[in-house]
Amino acid sequence: MAVSLAQPQTRSLPPRRILPGFGLSLGYTLLYLCLLVLIPLSTVFIRAGTLSHTQFWAIIDDPRTVAAFKLTFGASALAALVNAFFGLLVAWTLTRYSFPGRRVIDGLVDLPFALPTAVAGICLSAVYADNGWVGRVLAPHHIHVAYTQAGIFVALVFIGLPFVVRTVQPVLQDLETDVEEAAASLGATRGQIFARILLPTLFPAVLTGFTLAFARALGEYGSVIFISNNIPLRGEIVPKLIMDKLDQFDYAGAAAIAVIMLLASFALLLLINLLQWWSRKRLGMA
Amino acid sequence: MSIEIRGVSRNFGEFAALKDVNLLVETGELVALLGPSGSGKTTLLRIIAGLEYPTAGTILFHGEDTIRRDARSRQVGFVFQHYALFRHMTVFENIAFGLRVRPRALRPSKADIEARVMELLKLVQLEGLAQRFPSQLSGGQRQRVALARALAVEPKVLLLDEPFGALDARVRQELRSWLRRLHDELHITSVFVTHDQEEALEVADRVVVMNKGQIEQVGSPEDVYENPANPFVMNFLGSVNLFHARIHDGEAHIGPSSVPVTAAQDASTIGYVRPHELDILRQHNGEPTIEAVIKHIHAVGPTVRIELARRDNGELMEAELTRERFADLALKAGEEVHVKARKLQVFTEDYSI
Repeated sequence: MAVSLAQPQTRSLPPRRILPGFGLSLGYTLLYLCLLVLIPLSTVFIRAGTLSHTQFWAIIDDPRTVAAFKLTFGASALAALVNAFFGLLVAWTLTRYSFPGRRVIDGLVDLPFALPTAVAGICLSAVYADNGWVGRVLAPHHIHVAYTQAGIFVALVFIGLPFVVRTVQPVLQDLETDVEEAAASLGATRGQIFARILLPTLFPAVLTGFTLAFARALGEYGSVIFISNNIPLRGEIVPKLIMDKLDQFDYAGAAAIAVIMLLASFALLLLINLLQWWSRKRLGMA
Repeated sequence: MSIEIRGVSRNFGEFAALKDVNLLVETGELVALLGPSGSGKTTLLRIIAGLEYPTAGTILFHGEDTIRRDARSRQVGFVFQHYALFRHMTVFENIAFGLRVRPRALRPSKADIEARVMELLKLVQLEGLAQRFPSQLSGGQRQRVALARALAVEPKVLLLDEPFGALDARVRQELRSWLRRLHDELHITSVFVTHDQEEALEVADRVVVMNKGQIEQVGSPEDVYENPANPFVMNFLGSVNLFHARIHDGEAHIGPSSVPVTAAQDASTIGYVRPHELDILRQHNGEPTIEAVIKHIHAVGPTVRIELARRDNGELMEAELTRERFADLALKAGEEVHVKARKLQVFTEDYSI
């Protein structure tokens, strides 16, 4: 029709993306997450749902469960905190100085990733036992590491070490030295440069490393059961408690504990991620 | 405060970045260190700032040896090519940094810091941007923040390392004249490094031309441009035509033409002529001239650049005419013309370029 032909083209074009394959890659991501994460985890909630309210609370409120939770979260947080500090130091040493054997040490950092954690647990308990190489030195001072809560902490530090180092290292490498030089020429001392310039820049990366180390420690099982005494109320971590319930065919009980573990971990990780987002935004990186 | 550089050398392994450099920068002067990359100009600036140490020699500030003092205590303002702003701090915090890190006894009060920062923001014409982060600023604005930050601590000396190197041409031009005006206002002893001869000649009171770790010439912009000490300086400060010339009886002979020169000795040498010292004639006016053919005419800008090829040996030359002269001659590409050098420089010492 002549009338419609005379109409000017005012219809706006649909938004188009430059990168192709958004639908495909998002679909794949969701499918992947469902098959590997969400569906398997949902069975935990389904299983726990077979319990009544009072049954559920009885399991959660049990002093043994509460002790296990306190120990797991406490030791994991402490280990991640120590890793945040020493991981930063290791990353600093590896990026800031060049010395013979640097590459070897750099490679060693990844070992806790690759080593079966049961092997780590056995090695650590052998060394830290009262007759072991390190334990022998500590025992006269009434410090006992293996088969105590301190042992759990040591094992969790071991498995969490690479996370902080590997997240901080690339950021340290990218730091421009002229920023530090600028601070020095403005009269800042080395301490002030570190505290006011370097640390704020590194903080998001350290936080990421801390989160990863913390999350990894929460789920750690293999190394801890070898170095801990595994005594309920004193040396029992949540994964061990769940294993115990499973051994006794108390599937619903195990699921109830798993649900709380999941929710608590998720809440904590979400909180740390929000903190991360905020600190990145402050850095002008978001 | 004056800066005296005495016998400064710096080696990086086998490579000598600076070889026995001596220079005096007077109080209140604005000096440009000009040279190609690798000439040692940045190393020299960093040594003055205390960010680098010389292998030999020393630096005196106002007659006092400062070589043992570190960057922190030299009271030097340093501006980096890539700004080096603290990106996790606002513009305000960036500028206040130097005051905030002072020992408590010397630290100004909160109100004084704020007043000082606001005053500096006004000076660098960035009022209203105090709460922005560096990532929210343009390159030119970032460099002005960097300058304000350096000035906040009231340095005795201001050092700038290729301050406009990372900026685009227009902003560079603006900041250049702004820096000159700022210096006229503050009169702080300043040294800036650049590889851009135009920038050095336009901004500086004195230009120090450097090459391969040594100073080739020191002088006012007019001086180094009009009377270059050697072929390197001549070449580096602008385009230049090279002619094989024979010197005989105080005249340099290029082909059939001749130009009076000051060099006394008779020799075969190379003569250097700036494009604007070449004149183009349509008609032979009796004087011997070089015959050439016009290859290209670049008629953009205040002057007209003309590329010519010599008739006798095909060598290319470049001449620069005023618009009026160009209009009078009404030249066209492909035309045959006569070229005459008004002024020719010869250097008796043998330099390689």
